[in-house]
Amino acid sequence: MRAYFRNIYAAVSTILIGMRITFKEMFHPSVTNQYPYQYYFEKRKNVRGIHKGFRGQLYIRMEDCIGCKKCAMICPVDCIYIETSRLEKGITLSDTRAVVRLKDQTVWIGELLEGDEKIEPGTVVKLRDLDGNLHESPSEHVEHVVTSKKRRLKLDRFDIDMSLCMFCGLCTEVCSTSCLYMTQTHEFSTYDRASLLFHFADPSIYEGLTPDETETKAEDGADASEGRKQKAARRRQREETA
Amino acid sequence: MADLRTEEMELNMGPQHPSTHGVLRIVLKLDGEIVLDAEPHIGYLHRCFEKHAENLTYPEIIPFTDRLDYIAAMNNNLGFCVTVEKLMQLEIPERAEYLRVLVAELNRIASHLLAFGTYGMDMGAFTPFLYAFREREHILDFFEAICGARLTYNYVRIGGVARDVTDESLKLVEKFLEDFEPHVHEYNDLLSYNRIFLKRTVGVGILSPEAAISYGVTGPNLRASGVHWDLRKDEPYSVYDRFEFDVPKANTEIGEIGDCWNRYMIRMYEMIESVRILRQVLNQIPDGPTMAKMRAAIRPPKGEVYMRTETPRGELGFYILSDGKNKPVRVKGRSPCFTAMSAFREISRGLMIADITAVIGSLDIVLGEIDR
Ligand code: SF4
Ligand code: SF4
Repeated sequence: MRAYFRNIYAAVSTILIGMRITFKEMFHPSVTNQYPYQYYFEKRKNVRGIHKGFRGQLYIRMEDCIGCKKCAMICPVDCIYIETSRLEKGITLSDTRAVVRLKDQTVWIGELLEGDEKIEPGTVVKLRDLDGNLHESPSEHVEHVVTSKKRRLKLDRFDIDMSLCMFCGLCTEVCSTSCLYMTQTHEFSTYDRASLLFHFADPSIYEGLTPDETETKAEDGADASEGRKQKAARRRQREETA
Repeated sequence: MADLRTEEMELNMGPQHPSTHGVLRIVLKLDGEIVLDAEPHIGYLHRCFEKHAENLTYPEIIPFTDRLDYIAAMNNNLGFCVTVEKLMQLEIPERAEYLRVLVAELNRIASHLLAFGTYGMDMGAFTPFLYAFREREHILDFFEAICGARLTYNYVRIGGVARDVTDESLKLVEKFLEDFEPHVHEYNDLLSYNRIFLKRTVGVGILSPEAAISYGVTGPNLRASGVHWDLRKDEPYSVYDRFEFDVPKANTEIGEIGDCWNRYMIRMYEMIESVRILRQVLNQIPDGPTMAKMRAAIRPPKGEVYMRTETPRGELGFYILSDGKNKPVRVKGRSPCFTAMSAFREISRGLMIADITAVIGSLDIVLGEIDR
């Protein structure tokens, strides 16, 4: 009989201990985020924003892509489809822009004034962005630098199937010009799977381009040798994977 | 009267059952409410990891290891990467090693928090679940800051880690550790020593040390059975040999060796130990590069290797057979949850139906890893 009542007492008292802890929570600010209504994850005292390096939807600055297909090669699920073709003789495209990514995932795009892809410790990396602002950082804080590159290929197709993508971020890391990047967008569900196949390339931008007479000769030679080199590299890669 | 016999009944538990922690189906053979036999059926989440890995280059396999044990993805990344590095005999920069330990231990805490929260829920206590998720959120927040993802990190890479950690992010960890330890005591008051919870778990589902060893059960489940074995201590990898920490023992004052309560409680002790390791990591972490200098194409030499690491669920081993190309010939994963699941049949014989959920929850299985 005594044991019976002692049992009841123990059960009630331990529940009261738990109740005391939950009661204390009444005086703490709420940590719940009213998700669909607080859409932009605004920073409040106890609600945080999305971090800078978040791996969300993929996006690409087409004007910086050189068509090297490194991203398509490394993608584990092969969801990037690229088709390229040679530019007509004599047509030159603008060079790609340099990109600096800091360790806190800030990205600067523009013209590199100081620094190189190989980051030497103890130096500074300097960059003028597209609005003309100067940015500077000691190389210890820099994660990644890509320099300006020549564009020698036409991109006829650049599709990413986001319904297959698993957001691993490998493609953005190998990109030769850092033009492929992940945005903070994470809500892009649709009712229709086909609409998750994003088309980025716009072949129409190559129409109406005319050969630039002055640069024809120099470009020509470089173009041909580069094309051969790329073909050889691709052949090597094919052999490797076979 | 003696030869009156009740009819045996077969009952399907799962695949869609809230307390099977994923898609697991258990066929129970029942005599009234007593379980005569429990046969687990697995494979609902099979994604062909091992075969798939043969068609991918080494760096491409890492995101797939995320999806084995998705609750402790960092530890899975780490397990695979140290295996490849052992094969390549690669030297890892100091800072990268410390960062690896940092994320692995944080992920261990996150995983144990989830185990604690869902176990409370299985036992009918909903509140601890919300508490556990509140703390886990801070860890996921840190992971999001350093690698951009909240669940499938792809952070530990062959030769180092993907991104360096800024000092601001490390402050997040420091702040979290300060808040966290008192919270664990709160959890203990809330759930661990709750009378009703004790009644449901103490002495239930005992796994003897002999049975645990013969089934190959590892990790917290093995330690709860009284076997003192932790790979971080007994076979240190990465820089674990530089930290001071204890391997928790089963508590025989309240529970019995190898029962559900001890399996649960070991995880609470381990969280405290992980906090201890993390404090030392934060104190000792050096500056420097986070990636070893090596060629871009990863091509381990010909040969085979087996390497095991301690994940929150036990011993995760990878076996890799390489022929010197950029893709492995064979990858085999040794899953800690699978062995825990195989001991389940032995544990559950003779229990009541309601105890089955207690046993499954205390084994802390993740079906993504069992099925692979
Ligand atoms: S992030 Fe997506 S597209 Fe890029 S490599 Fe990974 S799976 Fe492929
Ligand atoms: S790796 Fe970058 S530059 Fe190369 S094709 Fe892909 S997006 Fe373009």
